[in-house]
Amino acid sequence: MILRYRREILLGLVTVVAVGVLLLLFTHGGQVAASTEPNFELARAAAGVQSVANPGTMLPEAKQDPCLHCHIAGEEKGLWTPLIRWLVFGTAGIAAVFGMVQSVSMWQTRAPWKPLLSRAGIWIDERYEIAKPLEKMLSKPVPDWQRRWWYCLGGLTAFFFAVQALTGIMLAFYYQPTPDAAYASIQFIETEVRFGAAIRIIHHWSANGMILMATAHMLRVFIMGAYKKPRELNWVSGVTLLIMTLAFGLTGYLLPWDQRAYWATTVATEIAGAMPAIGNLALIFLRVGWNITALTLSRFYALHVLVIPIITVIFMGLHFMMVRKQGIMKPL
Amino acid sequence: MSENISPDEKSVPFYPDHITLEAKVAMWFGIGLIIIGIIGLFNPVGLQPPANPMDTPAHVKPEWYFLAMYQLLKYLPKTIGALVPVILAGIVLVWPFFDSKPDKSTKTSRTRFIIITVLMIILIALTIWGEVS
Repeated sequence: MILRYRREILLGLVTVVAVGVLLLLFTHGGQVAASTEPNFELARAAAGVQSVANPGTMLPEAKQDPCLHCHIAGEEKGLWTPLIRWLVFGTAGIAAVFGMVQSVSMWQTRAPWKPLLSRAGIWIDERYEIAKPLEKMLSKPVPDWQRRWWYCLGGLTAFFFAVQALTGIMLAFYYQPTPDAAYASIQFIETEVRFGAAIRIIHHWSANGMILMATAHMLRVFIMGAYKKPRELNWVSGVTLLIMTLAFGLTGYLLPWDQRAYWATTVATEIAGAMPAIGNLALIFLRVGWNITALTLSRFYALHVLVIPIITVIFMGLHFMMVRKQGIMKPL
Repeated sequence: MSENISPDEKSVPFYPDHITLEAKVAMWFGIGLIIIGIIGLFNPVGLQPPANPMDTPAHVKPEWYFLAMYQLLKYLPKTIGALVPVILAGIVLVWPFFDSKPDKSTKTSRTRFIIITVLMIILIALTIWGEVS
């Protein structure tokens, strides 16, 4: 039995060794350029924290374990841990390669071979019968006058939103929304986390792109008069989405907890506080009190990652469904 | 849906022709973002000094998309300045319910184009003014 598949086993071993070598190379070669050493003491001193009472809140030392490819940083070094890991992942690799080779060889023996994906499609369609409506939706003809760049602007806004969601989730894995840790955690993202600096700069510029595209889309709709009957509610949902985008920018600006963030938020919330009648209420709602504190940061973080995204997704769904139902307005 | 498209109009199917075009456009923007990301590895966005409530910096500036509003606020009374954006957003939000007559000719859309151009020039001028001041 084993002898029959010795070629496949050999192939699996070679693959596992090759992947291992590649991983080794990348672990030592792909270091992210560090701009400045993170100064955790400075951040703590600015926050007025002399010593950290709870060591659990401290960030790990800014040092990379040279043996990260087989040991988790700070882990007790030993022979058995990496050995068992290699054995488990190696076996999984061999099994995967074996399965792939088997699948390929099935192509020769089975007469009407169907790709795995279409077989999954058939399996789902047997149970839920979605192929026909999906087919109808996808085969909708798009007239040539709609294939112009200015009809792309709304879709590009959605694309930038998707990028924001993806990079935002990645940043949220490392970001800590407390005055003690926020600044240091962003330094940690930029200097220690692999590709963290790239993710942060993409999040930064994609936000600008989203605002630009949303504005351009709105101007296009306004100039062409596409907001008129029967598309009034689509316009309303679109303006709501633009306001949500600006709210994203406002709440996201405080999160780095540096001087610019703190004082820009001070000014912005002061402006909100200058409104007649509801000014103080707005100010207290935004700042959670009269001053910008840890609670303000928590609130802005919750708004930025929970409340505003949920509202945005709901309104985006409505926006898309309405445009799908009514179609794009044909200009005169 | 497809009901408002007459059959004799020249068209392509949404899938796969049109979606490919859209994916291509999105791909180019994605490549642009990846290039920005690679640049970011060597020149990160960076941070200013940590927030210090005791030390007000000389020039506080919001993000560029709030700059025009911020510049306007410098020269308006505080109450009016806070109300202007709210009222403006309210007008924009309910605009289609007041301007509901369908277009008879391209003349109306040209008028709107001129209005938008003037407004955008004012907005951009305010933003640049806010940036340099």
